[in-house]
Amino acid sequence: MKSEQKVGLLFFLSILLVAFFAWAIGFINPFSQTHSLKVLYNYAGGIEVGSPVRVMGIKVGKVSRIQFDALKKSTTGEEAKLVIEIEIDKKAWSSVRKDSRFFINLAGVIGEKFLEISPGSLSQPEFEPGESVRGEDPPRIDQLISQSYGLAGKIIELVEKNEGSVSSTIAQLDKLVTNVNKTLVLLEKTSQNKDVSRLVDNAIKISDDLAYLTGQLRTKKAEDTYELVHKLLFRLENLDGPAVRKFLQDEGIKAKIF
Amino acid sequence: MMKKFRIPESMKQIEFIAWQSLPVVLFCVAFAAVVTILESSFHMRMAIQNDSMVPGFAAMLILRELAVVVTALLVTSRAGAGMAAEISSMKITEQVEALKMLGIQPWSYIWLPRFIASVVSLVILTALANSFCLFSAFWVSNIYLGFSQGMFIGSLQRFIQFQDFLLSLAKGAVFGAIISTVSYYFGMNCKDGADGVGNSTTNSVVCSSLLIIIVDFALGYMFSFLY
Repeated sequence: MKSEQKVGLLFFLSILLVAFFAWAIGFINPFSQTHSLKVLYNYAGGIEVGSPVRVMGIKVGKVSRIQFDALKKSTTGEEAKLVIEIEIDKKAWSSVRKDSRFFINLAGVIGEKFLEISPGSLSQPEFEPGESVRGEDPPRIDQLISQSYGLAGKIIELVEKNEGSVSSTIAQLDKLVTNVNKTLVLLEKTSQNKDVSRLVDNAIKISDDLAYLTGQLRTKKAEDTYELVHKLLFRLENLDGPAVRKFLQDEGIKAKIF
Repeated sequence: MMKKFRIPESMKQIEFIAWQSLPVVLFCVAFAAVVTILESSFHMRMAIQNDSMVPGFAAMLILRELAVVVTALLVTSRAGAGMAAEISSMKITEQVEALKMLGIQPWSYIWLPRFIASVVSLVILTALANSFCLFSAFWVSNIYLGFSQGMFIGSLQRFIQFQDFLLSLAKGAVFGAIISTVSYYFGMNCKDGADGVGNSTTNSVVCSSLLIIIVDFALGYMFSFLY
């Protein structure tokens, strides 16, 4: 083989490998079948060009471009100055609907960022390729930490200003807890006493009897008895001492009742 | 054009540098890649009990540093030493003076074809070494660590950009220029006698290797601004 042939072979092989590598890492893809979508954010939490796009947890595309547009507004009129252009495979395109939501999530050990699309409902129409949609801004951890610092500072300031009251409150609380503990110990001891146990048993029996009695009072028979007693008392109301004595004398009974 | 750049001579030099160095380069980088993958996996498992990111990390190291530097050092020790010895021999046998007498500039006859050949050869060898390294890395990941093809490619796509590959080729071109120029310099400054040839060859290899390491650092630092 001549030198030129060997060099030509090496050249050809190198170019082939460069092209293969570019295809393998997704830099060029002549057979790609994707649709693009513009997702608007105000904060994208560190997502980058090339970050994966997932629908229902399956990778279906990637972030192809990130643009800053100070005048950009979402369809609802809300300001969203960050435009993230994503590519989605055609096979997953029908799962992305108008009511789909676009989250920025973390995955893996090193906290890789990816764009997660929740599947939309079938009643909603599909997006047109290249359409803009508002994404869900991820929570800002730095902001949360900063706010926590502020809150902690305020708490410390409050405690420092009212150090005496806080100390006395804590002392009182301590005493309260001690007393509650003592009370609980006494209660425990009391529950183990035999007399108290008997007392409780009797109370239970009395309560059962009372329940039985009150139950009986609601029956028809009890109502009739009550009615009868009521009538009797009504009739006896007019009776007084002399009348009763006269009645007894008439009947020949001598008694010293009154 | 052909005459000015001495293309036929350059072709012969490419054959000498790239074609003849290919087996040793591929053999060595393949083993380097295998060791890189296994060591990375071992360390990651020890540190965070998880080696799912190892193919990505290792591929990044292979593409950005390992393949191109190992290739350049191997070419230095094989072809660079050969070039320095050849030019030294030409120098002590007064062939260089003969060229001057014929009105031929020594740099255009000796240095230029070797420079072109070194640059082209290192670019080709780097591309081949990168691919072979990644293939070896995939092979050992698949067989020994149990990564599927999809996991390996997914991890690669997460960490590697196409510009990593292109920048490694650029590094290869710079290293090729260093190897040919240093060999020419030490060959042309060779002292008379067998000792002189030996010394110039040794110095050429040592100097080229040092320059490759230093320039690799400088280029790595410069390229970091492109990300």
